[in-house]
Amino acid sequence: MEQLLIILVPALPLLAALINHLAYGQLGQRVAKLSVTFAVFSFVIAAVLLAQAMSGNDANQVAIGGTWGILLADPLSTLMGLLIAGISLIVRMYSVRYMIEERGYGRFFMLLDLMTASLLIMVAAGDLLTLIVAWHLVGVLLYFLLGFDSSSKTAYRYAFWTLITYRIGDIALVLAAALLFHAFGTWTLADIFAQITENPGAHEYFGFALEELVGILLAIAAFARSAQFFLHTWLPYTMDGPTPVSALMHAGIVNAGGFLINRFATVFIHTDSVMHLLFVVGLVTAIIGSVLMLTQNDIKKALGYSTMGQMGFMIMECGVGAFSLAIYHLIAHGLFKGTLFLSAGTVINEARKNDGAPKDGLYTFVVEHRIAKRYQPWLLMAGITLIVPIIILIFSHWLVAQDFFQKQGAIVLLFFGWVTGAQLLFTTYRMGAQNVWRLVGVIVLSFAIIVLGYALISHAFDSFLYPDPEFSSQMYIAAGIDVFWFDVLVVFTTVVIVGGWLWKYYSEQNDGPTQERIGQLWTSFYALVSREFYMIDIYARLTRMLLKASSRLNILLRWR
Amino acid sequence: MTEGLLLLVGLFLPLFPLSMVFNEVFQRIRVANLRVVLLLIWPQIGLVIAHTASVEIPDWVIFWALGSALLYAFRALALREVGIWTSFIATSTWAILWLLMDGQTDFSKMALYALALSAPLALLALLSGELEKRFGAAYTGLYGGLALSLPRLSGVLVFVVLAIVATPFFPGFSVMMAAIIGLSPHSFFAAVTVAVIWLLWSWAGARLLQGIIVGPVQDEVKTDLSLNGTWVYSLILILLVISGTYSIGNL
Repeated sequence: MEQLLIILVPALPLLAALINHLAYGQLGQRVAKLSVTFAVFSFVIAAVLLAQAMSGNDANQVAIGGTWGILLADPLSTLMGLLIAGISLIVRMYSVRYMIEERGYGRFFMLLDLMTASLLIMVAAGDLLTLIVAWHLVGVLLYFLLGFDSSSKTAYRYAFWTLITYRIGDIALVLAAALLFHAFGTWTLADIFAQITENPGAHEYFGFALEELVGILLAIAAFARSAQFFLHTWLPYTMDGPTPVSALMHAGIVNAGGFLINRFATVFIHTDSVMHLLFVVGLVTAIIGSVLMLTQNDIKKALGYSTMGQMGFMIMECGVGAFSLAIYHLIAHGLFKGTLFLSAGTVINEARKNDGAPKDGLYTFVVEHRIAKRYQPWLLMAGITLIVPIIILIFSHWLVAQDFFQKQGAIVLLFFGWVTGAQLLFTTYRMGAQNVWRLVGVIVLSFAIIVLGYALISHAFDSFLYPDPEFSSQMYIAAGIDVFWFDVLVVFTTVVIVGGWLWKYYSEQNDGPTQERIGQLWTSFYALVSREFYMIDIYARLTRMLLKASSRLNILLRWR
Repeated sequence: MTEGLLLLVGLFLPLFPLSMVFNEVFQRIRVANLRVVLLLIWPQIGLVIAHTASVEIPDWVIFWALGSALLYAFRALALREVGIWTSFIATSTWAILWLLMDGQTDFSKMALYALALSAPLALLALLSGELEKRFGAAYTGLYGGLALSLPRLSGVLVFVVLAIVATPFFPGFSVMMAAIIGLSPHSFFAAVTVAVIWLLWSWAGARLLQGIIVGPVQDEVKTDLSLNGTWVYSLILILLVISGTYSIGNL
């Protein structure tokens, strides 16, 4: 019975797509309701499978073909399956009215159904071939969904950027799969992971351990799918596609990188440097994505860069060994980003009538960047800023796991939490609200609730996804570096951040030539950011050069 | 295999510059049906000669084939004429067949691989004829907007191009996978090159589609592909999907 349920989750949207294609002439716009109905059933079945996995049932699988077509029902696949089924259900319900006046209404729902089925197969894939096929198809279907309006050349232009970036990731995944198949003689993931666990480092290719080489290739595949720096330019520019597609893409499709890393956790824990690569790329992406988000004046583009930043953070979490936290992060991000996209139109519409911005201290500070002059005693505020977040973080993590602080990855995450909390309080101090103590109190309370909730939920995710504590601790070990250098890095980063705050405080208190120089530097930096670090221009130039070279070659060889 | 025979095979499983012969012949033929015959038969002749001679292929020929496939995939990026595009991609895909002739793959399998690669190209040659009938030329960026004005023709064109660029479930996907699986343990560089060729096909395919189906609807009304014609194309494509799905299981 469970095997039938595993098949039904992706089969239902697939069936909806088929009926839509064959019977659109008879059903007309009712195909949308059919699609939603099938999506509801798919969602309910996905929920049943997750409930079974949570109740402690062993992982189950069903093999549709011979060597491929294996679908899994393990904790990771059921959790991701429910997320995808849920988000795509909401997107389809939203699209029923939103897309009603669009030409190609039936085609849109057919593509959505096919995309949902591909995503569900991708997260449930129990063998490399099924994974590659679904992974590849997601890219192709997204190309046609983003270019749904076939009269828009711009939409297709950016859809093409997405396609080509995704193909780079596909290639890396195919190469990784080919090496794994050659080494272990099977496509089945469970068998491959069992052999790696039994005898890690047994295979070498081109002077590298198999796990290292495969890990790098999988990381590239994840980077392309999750818009990491250098492979990110497609994400903020794909806003010409229909809003429901943006919602599905930002809430579900871009998360595939985090999923892939989790699926191949067994490979990653046996690598030496790949986790560090994940950390660095994720960190750089998180910072650059966030900086670019802050400079956008188009809400959808800002959301695009926000997703890039969040995806960077998700990959960085994997890089410190917090694999399950990355899954929690991608679910939380998927839900809130999906909501933001689906409500963006209403917000813009409302804002045209009334911007709704209160002309109070918060507004003048955030929007007009006017800093209040009425400061509270700064020493007291500095103390609160530095100490309160760290107490909350340590206490909440100590509640869920006493040995948490022995893991370097955990300390890095705590460090990020501290910086975020302290930055928030520091900003509150600079804001100079009417009742600053009330505001600080509310912020501290909110921060405590968020951190405690985050710690408890992520601990629950860890217990569910990686119940073997030894395996879980291996992830942190693989992500670790030499203790001396780790301590040096922590101290150095702390000094830089605290120094930055003090410098900011000092420069706001003292106007003068230094302040002017900083202003000029800031303007230059803003110019650089406003051009998105010239990444788009560089890629556009490269593309033109390649096309020109191709054209010249054809002329030289007389088109033969 | 003597060097002379190798060169002869290189004419039919095109290796640059011998590939120029096929491209010359293909581009001189203006009748779509003849182009179809040529696309289906040309690589099979090469395979028959290679099979009859049954001598091992030296490593340097593999790299020559890789270079040829890469060259034509790259050159296809800037093309706008659908006929030339077809012949260049055919040259690029057939060169990949050299990588699969490792002495263990039997002749019938190789012939099926060649057919799998040629069949969608043959469909494109027919579609190119349909475009020429309606517009006088099969050229990207010349008219555009066909998705709105000729939806059946555009739909078939999209699937044919997807089949050509080796999208999963079409047989080309299995051929490319087989090539990469065969090469990756021995020469990572060669496997990456095959992967890059695959990427270039996707790029060229997307450019071809965007130049024909995307854009505002044209004022001039043209007749769409007939319903029967659409069914015939669809049936062939379904056959390709079935064979492609079957072949994934045999990787």
